[in-house]
Amino acid sequence: MSLSIHRGEVTAIVGDNGAGKSTFLKVLSGEHMPDAGELYFGGTPITLRSTHDAQEQGVETVYQDLALAPDLSVSDNVFLGREIASNGIAGRFGAIDRLAMREATQGVLADLGIRLKSYAAPTRSLSGGERQAVAVARAMKWARHAVLMDEPTAALGARQREMVYAAIRSAARRDLAVLLISHDLPQVLELADAIIVMRHGRNVARMAPGEVTVRDIIDAMLGEKGPR
Amino acid sequence: MATPAADAPDRAPAITEPGVLGRAARTTAFWMFLSLLVLVGAFGTLSTNHVFFNLSNFFTMALNASELVLLAVGMSFLLGAGQLDLSVGSNLTLASVLAARTITALAGTPDQVAAGDYPNLLPAIAAGVVVALVSGGFFGLVNGLLITRLKLTSFLVTLAMTGIGLGTTLVITHGANVPYLPRALQSGFAVNKVGGLVPLPVILSLVIVVVLWFVLARTRFGIHTLAIGSAPAAASRAGIDTDRHVVQLFVLMGLLAGVAAIIDISRFATTNIGGHQTDNLQAIAAAVIGGTSLFGGVASVAGAIVGTLIPVVLGTGLVILRIDSFYQLIVVGVIIIVAVYVDQRNRRRGV
Repeated sequence: MSLSIHRGEVTAIVGDNGAGKSTFLKVLSGEHMPDAGELYFGGTPITLRSTHDAQEQGVETVYQDLALAPDLSVSDNVFLGREIASNGIAGRFGAIDRLAMREATQGVLADLGIRLKSYAAPTRSLSGGERQAVAVARAMKWARHAVLMDEPTAALGARQREMVYAAIRSAARRDLAVLLISHDLPQVLELADAIIVMRHGRNVARMAPGEVTVRDIIDAMLGEKGPR
Repeated sequence: MATPAADAPDRAPAITEPGVLGRAARTTAFWMFLSLLVLVGAFGTLSTNHVFFNLSNFFTMALNASELVLLAVGMSFLLGAGQLDLSVGSNLTLASVLAARTITALAGTPDQVAAGDYPNLLPAIAAGVVVALVSGGFFGLVNGLLITRLKLTSFLVTLAMTGIGLGTTLVITHGANVPYLPRALQSGFAVNKVGGLVPLPVILSLVIVVVLWFVLARTRFGIHTLAIGSAPAAASRAGIDTDRHVVQLFVLMGLLAGVAAIIDISRFATTNIGGHQTDNLQAIAAAVIGGTSLFGGVASVAGAIVGTLIPVVLGTGLVILRIDSFYQLIVVGVIIIVAVYVDQRNRRRGV
């Protein structure tokens, strides 16, 4: 399959279970090495050997299973692997500036319209929606070019979904390319700028949300021929 | 974890981060610290002429805890990262035997050493210290590499290494402790008291423990340690080289065993081949009593100190009260169960 995603746009991938959506996304996020195929970034071919490589390229991923450490605080999670060193000699020995990290975290979450009771509490004490919001906030904080999201709202209630959708919109507004895997077709229609339909590991259709209905998308997902 | 004031400030008034006491009160370490104070108070009040309150008694207890606290703190790091080291006692024994052999071999001719005459005392001791640290660190490195390269559990690898370490020690020594260690190790170090009160090993251990507290609570290394124990996949997705970090943790544990080995041969001026077979379980117990989770993600250095001191205080207090000190084993067992129960209940409630 071949597709391109663009800055400032939300591109949604839809497809039946087992269509290869998550696998495809894992290739883009550096978690899987592709057996074949090419990856271009801003026109230049790149190879991603790890999620770290993708992060270096400014590409962040929000995973289906929340990739947060439940025992660490909200801000430690947002800054995990990219902690702010404290000033002076202690910083050179790996000491970190928790206060600065906490304040920055508060700022990022506030940008998404989210306020937590505590930023020092372990993330296991948050609600599912809050945890996913933290994961989204982390991706937004570090992404310079693209955010990849695999079912970011799968485990959430309606209000919490809205929270994440708002975050997705604000990511696109910030000129990030957003790639979203979702089963929530009505929401996809409302949110996405382009919809890619996958079936058996291939993209079978590229649709513009303004021109199609949920029914059209389902037909394409299941392989029914042509529009009704 | 007992967290000092620097961690508390919070500039946004509407968000209510719990204060120092509020957060401390939620930790197992805090409640165990209170229990420790109660124990000390009780033994002090009950002992004849309050001899338990005697300062020198406190420092004797501290000396007795100086080796185990190092192992317990190292164990807290490992447990925090979801790992375990059952081989610490074996590591310590092997390091102490190699160090002792080095010292007696270099300090003078065999006849001189047997006669208690050590012409090359200082270089020999320096070499012994280096050998203990290298041996301990190498032992830990082997543990870490086997676990990360062969993808085996730390339980299994360190269980096997316990036998390998002890076997090597026995092969080297034929089962006999190394004799003729210089008394200067005792007079110059182990029973040398600063200000006539604080034994040098206590100061050494305290300095190391404070540094490690800082590392766990305040540095990148500490955060990564707990992240690996809390969610290994999340840690590696965040770009942390988890294998490398785990190896480093085992080397740290090994170095601590090496330091404990030096303290050990210095206190007794002999090796103690048979005396460290339960060090592993004591270290795990101390870590767990102090609130470090067996499931990874949560660790407390301050807790490990408290967890080391509780059994020592119990043992000493019972002896002073002329109560059978074997009760200590029973009480410590009960405390471990309470500590683990509280830890699990807190976790369940948190989710």
